[in-house]
Amino acid sequence: MSENMNNSTLRRDPRREWILRNRLHPQHSEIATEDSSSDVLHEWMGPQGIKRKAPHNIGFIGPNGIRRIDRSGTQQAGSASRKEIAQQPSRRSHQIQHPQQYILVVADMTGGRLSAQDKDILGLAHQLAAKKAETAVMLVVFGEHKEAAFAEAGVDRLLHIEGEAFDGFSPDLRLAWLTAIERELHPDYWLFPDSGLGGGDLGRRLAVELDVHAATGLWQVNLKEQPISCVCRAAASTQDLTRELPRVILALSECAEPISDSLHAVQEFNLVRQPLDQLPRIQDLGAVAVDPASVSLAEAEFILSGGNGIRDWDGFHQTAEILGATEGASRVAVDDGYMPRDRQVGATGTWVTARVYMAVGISGAIQHLQGIQSCDKVICINTDAGCDMVKRADLALIGDSTEILAAVRRKVSELKQEKRHVA
Amino acid sequence: MSLNQATRVAVLLSIGQHPVTARARRADQDARALELALQLNHADVIPLHVGQLNEHNEAALRSYLGMGISQIKLIGNSDILLGLEQGVRESQANIVLCGSRAETGEGSGLVPYLLAKKLGWPIVSGLVSIEKLDQGSATLLQALPRGQRRKLKVSLPAVLAVDPAAAVARQSAFGPAQRGAITPQKLSSIEAVSGAEVKHNSALHSFLWQFQPAKKRPKRLKIIKATSARDRFKAAAAKADASGGKVLQGVSADDAANEIIKLLLEESVLNLDGHL
Amino acid sequence: MLNQILPLLIFGALLLAVVGGVRRIRLWRNGRPSDVPIMAGLAALPRRYLVDLHHVVARDKYISNTHVATGGGFVAAAILAILVHGLQLNSQILAWALLAATTSMFVGALFVAKRRVQPPERLSKGPWMRLPKSLLAFSIGFFLVTLPVTGLVPAVLGAWVLALILSVLIIWGLGEMFFGMTWGGPMKHAFAGALHLAFHRRAERFNGGRSTGLKPLHFDDQQQPLGVEKPSEFTWNQLLGFDACVQCGRCEAMCPAFAAGQPLNPKKLIQDMVVGLAGGSDAAYAGSPYPGKPLGEHQGGPFASIIAREGQGLLDAETLWSCTTCRACVEECPMMIEHVDAIVDMRRHLTLERGQTPNKGAEVIDNLIATDNPNGFNPASRMNWAADLALPVLSDVKRTDVLLWMGDGAFDMRNQRSLRALVKILRAAKVDFAVLGNEERDSGDVARRLGDEATFQSLAKRNITTLAQYSFRSIVTCDPHSFHVLKNEYSDFGGQYVVYHHSTFINHLRQTGKLNFAPYKGGSVTYHDPCYLGRYNGEYDAPRDLLAAAGIQVIEMERSGFRSRCCGGGGGAPITDIPGKQRIPDMRMEDIKQTGAEIVAVGCPQCTAMLEGVVDPRPEVLDIAEIIAKQLVEAEEAA
Repeated sequence: MSENMNNSTLRRDPRREWILRNRLHPQHSEIATEDSSSDVLHEWMGPQGIKRKAPHNIGFIGPNGIRRIDRSGTQQAGSASRKEIAQQPSRRSHQIQHPQQYILVVADMTGGRLSAQDKDILGLAHQLAAKKAETAVMLVVFGEHKEAAFAEAGVDRLLHIEGEAFDGFSPDLRLAWLTAIERELHPDYWLFPDSGLGGGDLGRRLAVELDVHAATGLWQVNLKEQPISCVCRAAASTQDLTRELPRVILALSECAEPISDSLHAVQEFNLVRQPLDQLPRIQDLGAVAVDPASVSLAEAEFILSGGNGIRDWDGFHQTAEILGATEGASRVAVDDGYMPRDRQVGATGTWVTARVYMAVGISGAIQHLQGIQSCDKVICINTDAGCDMVKRADLALIGDSTEILAAVRRKVSELKQEKRHVA
Repeated sequence: MSLNQATRVAVLLSIGQHPVTARARRADQDARALELALQLNHADVIPLHVGQLNEHNEAALRSYLGMGISQIKLIGNSDILLGLEQGVRESQANIVLCGSRAETGEGSGLVPYLLAKKLGWPIVSGLVSIEKLDQGSATLLQALPRGQRRKLKVSLPAVLAVDPAAAVARQSAFGPAQRGAITPQKLSSIEAVSGAEVKHNSALHSFLWQFQPAKKRPKRLKIIKATSARDRFKAAAAKADASGGKVLQGVSADDAANEIIKLLLEESVLNLDGHL
Repeated sequence: MLNQILPLLIFGALLLAVVGGVRRIRLWRNGRPSDVPIMAGLAALPRRYLVDLHHVVARDKYISNTHVATGGGFVAAAILAILVHGLQLNSQILAWALLAATTSMFVGALFVAKRRVQPPERLSKGPWMRLPKSLLAFSIGFFLVTLPVTGLVPAVLGAWVLALILSVLIIWGLGEMFFGMTWGGPMKHAFAGALHLAFHRRAERFNGGRSTGLKPLHFDDQQQPLGVEKPSEFTWNQLLGFDACVQCGRCEAMCPAFAAGQPLNPKKLIQDMVVGLAGGSDAAYAGSPYPGKPLGEHQGGPFASIIAREGQGLLDAETLWSCTTCRACVEECPMMIEHVDAIVDMRRHLTLERGQTPNKGAEVIDNLIATDNPNGFNPASRMNWAADLALPVLSDVKRTDVLLWMGDGAFDMRNQRSLRALVKILRAAKVDFAVLGNEERDSGDVARRLGDEATFQSLAKRNITTLAQYSFRSIVTCDPHSFHVLKNEYSDFGGQYVVYHHSTFINHLRQTGKLNFAPYKGGSVTYHDPCYLGRYNGEYDAPRDLLAAAGIQVIEMERSGFRSRCCGGGGGAPITDIPGKQRIPDMRMEDIKQTGAEIVAVGCPQCTAMLEGVVDPRPEVLDIAEIIAKQLVEAEEAA
């Protein structure tokens, strides 16, 4: 495909040139695309991670010997960039050989993987690290994990603390480790995701231990100011507090962009002095089985809601169980006795804030639509394409709900089975 | 602690603020904490508030009384943390129940941790219910995301911070609220030290700190890895995702199911690890 | 022989009656004091009985004629019997009069007996089944003993056997009529009823007046309890009122909650209050129970909690919370008993003292306190619906002719359509109007019906203060609940306003030629009377006149006007949400469907919401303002 790559001798092929000139020729587009692939590299990543360009190499030599630059991208640029990707690693490598100081990130690792919030926090850590040379971002991971992409997320150093105790709630032990790290490394910053029970809890424990007035609910850092200031949610998220950036930071999700264009070393790190075992004052007795259907509507993240149009309530309940969704209902379904009153969604029932709200057989009375105002995504299954719920929905499926729910159940079961076999 | 000693529960009550109108009210989480305390059998409940009683907050404090307690101990005119510490110590409580974070001021949620540190007690946050009280320990339920729960055993005395998912506080009734007493407490050992410390703390940061009404956070845009001007242009000029939803009519049930599952996976609400 | 026994019997029965009366009065006096005028009340009694009460009784011609004959006959017979047989006045005229009176009573009693052959469901049985026989015994007995006095039959007829039979009849008659009157028999209604009319807590209701606003609690009065926990915490004349009940069950037949199978029966409620004031259990009650609540499980006493904190009391709380405060029972009651007052009094205790407003009640009250509207919307967004209408706001214009009170419907997308229609009409008629805008608050209606008098008074006082800053001639609102509260309940706190419901006001505009209508081409229309407009404020005609003027022939429902059935939306009933066998709005929609109308015209945001909540297919629900706005023709066009 690219035998004339970097070949400066221009060999002319009159037939090709003729086809290139004749846009109506059946082979025109084929030849044109092929021709452009002969282009030499005009863009590459420099050693400092800065993009370098050779403007002379941009474009292609047109049929009458004149250089053409086609910005529409139909012909040349497309294939050129494809080639670029193939030629060089998409991410620059970010190496810190001899770190002078550290920024510590303690990730939640929900489900054993870096959560989106964890990645944002790592992004924030790198923004702070860029202020001083030779600063490494170190991630602390407690217990088992399944994450394979630490390098892409921006982990320069990894402190993996293993132990069965970390499978459960063990704040005292974790805190002991963090204080040991503090003694040994004295990091510039401690970053935690300000999430319910993970970083939100541990971060506050550490802040109190270190006697630092932590920044909580942080969502913006102003790096250009001196000293660096930050903006935190205060007074139950009704106010913004602008303050100086302390050493212990508990940040919200989307506080910074996650790392997207560099590859990091993920070098294992070990503490010289490990903390002593101590008797825990808090003992984890394990998870309590909670039926997703019984989760309160206000807490629910994913609601499967049924209305007047449902014929097969058993199927509805089964679907909720398989999907792990919390059950909701329209007023009519409650009035008709299919669902208890505390499951009613709407202005006259519960106002819900679920991320995904799936309405089955609900036509969407105004009161109901008011109650789901703050839901992110609405899926709707209904027989009537003209109803208000279809207008509100992000994904509307017109058809028989019994059949569609049965298909969903079947497909999800299959997917779960597959997953199980893979694992 | 002697065997016959009843559990003494100090409940820390603060002045809340309504999220829409910013009117003073009983703080939601503190009220839930009081509710948890009131539902304990054989426990003495000691409600504490640190601050001054004034026109602005009296109704809010009284609405705690309306939940059926006869008095609130008022610890006036001191640093909040020191006041709480003294209040808890003098009430001889072995459990402190409080909300996770305040509805006014910084609302950092650090106070329960600071208090626990000062008292030297363990702290558990995210509490949804107290299952059992034994001599020297308590069995608790802690809230996990998506309505999940975890059982913990903590040695007493302890500080327990209540999760917003705990049981809703009972209604506050007007009559008991009017009749209940807000009794100022004379605490012996705070005096001068606290005054100095308050000054010290405020000098440290308050001159830098600014409060403003919360700004709406910008929605994160899809990150476009634009390597060329053309990609950037295309990204900038691209039509925003149509606001109207996708309507699928006349598709087979299987296709419909696939569409649904695709969206559920995109939103990561579907957990395929779960049981079949 | 009989001549010697008769005075003894009569005066003996009278004495027992007096003793019983004193005993009964002492039971009533367990109640709290009430400042009704005693002498003026007694003086007004005959007129109240003969005119006002009879006006209600006469809705059922059969029973009113029967009652005139029986009751009138008995009163005359009783007085004459005391004179003729008790005092032995030997007067031919009196004797003949007594014969006539007993005959009248006898005829009446026959009709009473006939009604009792197959009594309607609503009537109580038990001792009430005995009453016609007792009436017959009394009338026959005294008729026969009077015959010798008139000289029609020789006195010797009074042979031993006959005398014995006669004595039995007379003892039975006297026992039921004199002794039973004050010792708790069915005739108690005559004794208590008469005094109840004399000392009625709403004297304004007589002489054709209307008194429907709830009575305020005085929070600065330390003696006054916050609502009613025990029967003794009712005022004494309320207790007296309960005793006046004749158990005719007209309230039961009208009660929407009872019909829907919710655990409420107004008749049983009043009887339970009687049980409460005298002490005992409800086992002896012989009428329809609360749906789903068997008899004999509840008991109480004057100083026992009506709603027990633990175990069974006299009532279950859900009985009280089933009421929609539609006033249908009060409207129907021939004894003019105030059921709604009693229910709200007991609700006040539950809310103010115990904090036990069920279901969404607590949340609604919290919202009213924190945001001045029941759904917790931002009070600064009350005017958002009218962002494009450029409505004049009173804080800018300071004075206006008409203040348009928006109500909480301003937050509701459905009601905003009605409000827009109303604004269109006002503009077409060139009315000088303005709104309070974001300064407006909930009127306090829901808080008050839920028993939260404190929040109601707080809202009322703040609204009155706001209103006092501006100058306006009248208030117009499309919400009958706000209408009622502004018109009838704010006056206790110093707010006196001229208030019109929008149907009245639009009708007035039409009458003065400010509106022109195009010929009506829409579907057939029926009209649903909102309780708070009709029964509470007597406005039945304006909406009908208005629709007629717009060329709409209203098909009346069987239950319309003062007998209109509630939509189920009043009194906080949708908030407390007590389950029944069916829903009240579904029943009302059945009424509507029976007319075959395609459109039901309403005049209340609550009714609109409740009726629109009925599952399709059903007639379209439109506010009167919406219908009229569609019919409007601009004046220029018409000219």
